[in-house]
Amino acid sequence: MLSAERRRRLAAAMAEAGIDEMLLYGNAWQGDYLRYAADFGILEGHGIALVAADGSIELFLDSAVEAERAEAEAPGVKIVLARDIARAVGARLDRIANHRIAAAPRRFVPKWLADPERSFSLEDGTALVDTLLMHKLPAEIDAIRRAARIADDAYGVFRAAVKVGRPQYELVADVEAYLRSRGCPDNFMILGSGGKDVLGMTPPSDRRIAAGDLVTTELTPCVEGYYVQICRTVVVGPASEAQRRACALYREALEAGIAAVKPGAIAADVARAENDVFRKYGLGDYVTSKWTRVRGHGLGLFCDSKPHILEDVDTPLVPGMALIVHPNTYHPEVGYLVLGDSVVVTDNGCEVLCETPRELFEVER
Amino acid sequence: MRRGLIARSPDELPDGVLDARLERVHAAMNAASLDALILYTNNTRPAGVSWLTAFVPYWSEALLLVPRQGAPVLVVALTYRVKTWIERTSRVADVIHTPRIGLEAGRRVAAVKADAAVGVVELDMLSAGIAGDLAEGGPRLAITDASDVFAQVRAQPDAAEIALAKKAASIAHLALSRICRDGDDLGSMLGAAEAAARRQGAEEIYLAAAPDLDHDLRLRRIEGAVARGPSFAVRASVAYKGSWVRLTRTLHPDDAAARRAIDAFAGAVAQLPDARALAAFPSWLIEGCRLTQPLDAVMGSRATPPAAPLPRLVSVQARIDIDGTPVLIGAPVLLGVLGQPARLLAPPVFD
Repeated sequence: MLSAERRRRLAAAMAEAGIDEMLLYGNAWQGDYLRYAADFGILEGHGIALVAADGSIELFLDSAVEAERAEAEAPGVKIVLARDIARAVGARLDRIANHRIAAAPRRFVPKWLADPERSFSLEDGTALVDTLLMHKLPAEIDAIRRAARIADDAYGVFRAAVKVGRPQYELVADVEAYLRSRGCPDNFMILGSGGKDVLGMTPPSDRRIAAGDLVTTELTPCVEGYYVQICRTVVVGPASEAQRRACALYREALEAGIAAVKPGAIAADVARAENDVFRKYGLGDYVTSKWTRVRGHGLGLFCDSKPHILEDVDTPLVPGMALIVHPNTYHPEVGYLVLGDSVVVTDNGCEVLCETPRELFEVER
Repeated sequence: MRRGLIARSPDELPDGVLDARLERVHAAMNAASLDALILYTNNTRPAGVSWLTAFVPYWSEALLLVPRQGAPVLVVALTYRVKTWIERTSRVADVIHTPRIGLEAGRRVAAVKADAAVGVVELDMLSAGIAGDLAEGGPRLAITDASDVFAQVRAQPDAAEIALAKKAASIAHLALSRICRDGDDLGSMLGAAEAAARRQGAEEIYLAAAPDLDHDLRLRRIEGAVARGPSFAVRASVAYKGSWVRLTRTLHPDDAAARRAIDAFAGAVAQLPDARALAAFPSWLIEGCRLTQPLDAVMGSRATPPAAPLPRLVSVQARIDIDGTPVLIGAPVLLGVLGQPARLLAPPVFD
């Protein structure tokens, strides 16, 4: 079982680092550290998992409905419901205050628990857990591959949903309904529609799809907690010459980025490969932080994991890492455009997970 | 992460409503001698900031800085590229973009008054990184917890908040009414409910199900292909423009048992805030917004002692046994004032 494999791996890493107890904090935004050990996808409130050296886990939750859900979804984990979760965890840690206790992600830990006045102190275990999150087990990669099949299908649903006159939020409704019907419990998606006025993607608004729109989205469904991502762009009506040219540039950048994904490379190499294509065409300004956030990122138990693909990130790429490479940015002639594929680093390069063609899809006006 | 409709509607949430809420907060700050109030928000804990500004982060995090006088400023970790989206969907005096929101918030408060009295809602639960940055940005600031100050103001809903909760309740009701009694595949049923809610403009919907009440009464998220039993339950947690409710429906072959359970539930909630009738059920839970979490457990068979003050807008869940048959029911409720009975915002009746 995947969760048991992860727990064994975490316990081994803790033992090697001489850590007696690991505190993992999570909420619905940043839940990957918590999920790694407790195998619980938190939706509401705060969660803190305490992982003992023998691998046993106590999960503290402050939401009553989440506590009930965790009891059903996370067998083998002791669930503790506490309105004041920080003090409940603190009372537990008071009993082992002389042990070496680490926390991850350390900066997210509630202030009360991190206060130097406590009887215990929390070392920073973030890097230790980050390594486990990034360097995945074969079973974790299998889950990501299964998510990729769903992402391809869901993108087909999205394309079919794009019709003139429909508000943006209905496109999301169609995709989410499809995902629930496939038994996919979670997804992250943002989108954009319009032309040169669109600077990026956001949650859906009530803006209606219009003829000539570029409709962008990134879909990020998950299987067993593992997210995969696909980014594509649809044009409503026949694509203009400028839109075709722009898409060709983004495809060239994506392919350059994917070609740079291999063991021995660092995250910056991938970003540089993508950005060099933009610079070659005189669009270097549009790969700066003014126009784009990242040129890709890690994937796994969080939809935006480490490493971020940026020219100043020197994280080495190793087999078993999952990434999305996406040269998404604003194009001065056509507006915001996206194109991205998820990959897994292999022994001699990478495996592309999604099969949706890298096209600027045209839908009827 | 949020992926439903996020759009500000001046009809549903007029400027005057937000101004009135801010005025109440300013009055409470004055009474507590606070120079500034700080509220944290992310997509798990959006309810304090959304109540004051309509801002709901789809991901990432932010601090709302409320000066003792004047309009609030939002310090966000989201990038500058979404500034116009934030301005479209919320009402704040300014939006400041920075990866270190605590540092910037501390500096801004200290720039006005170096030793300002700063109240932070849920200070103990503020992340250590932000708390450290806040102290670094304003080393002489006197920072205290202001949860009680804010909770007293937040507990009383205005007409706009009640209307938004009613809309959320109607969306949740519609979603659960789409669960087909004759279907076998739970995934398809949940898909139909999800589509109905999002097409009505839900900001978010979380669906949980107990697929076979004869074997397990616990509601959980469904993953993969799951078949239903003869009796099963689905809970919809729905947000509409920052207002959250929960509704739970049991589909049981014996309609009479379900109807009797609904009657018992309605009778018990009518007596709230007196919870003795609810306490007679095997399990029960009352949730409402007190501070930043949209639905915080305030009273229940597992949530003791009761939290104070009790919000007037609550969602109530219960397990009721009728002749040995378990029925799960839940619905949002508006507690009465001046001796009026509590009333359901959406009836847990679907047929």
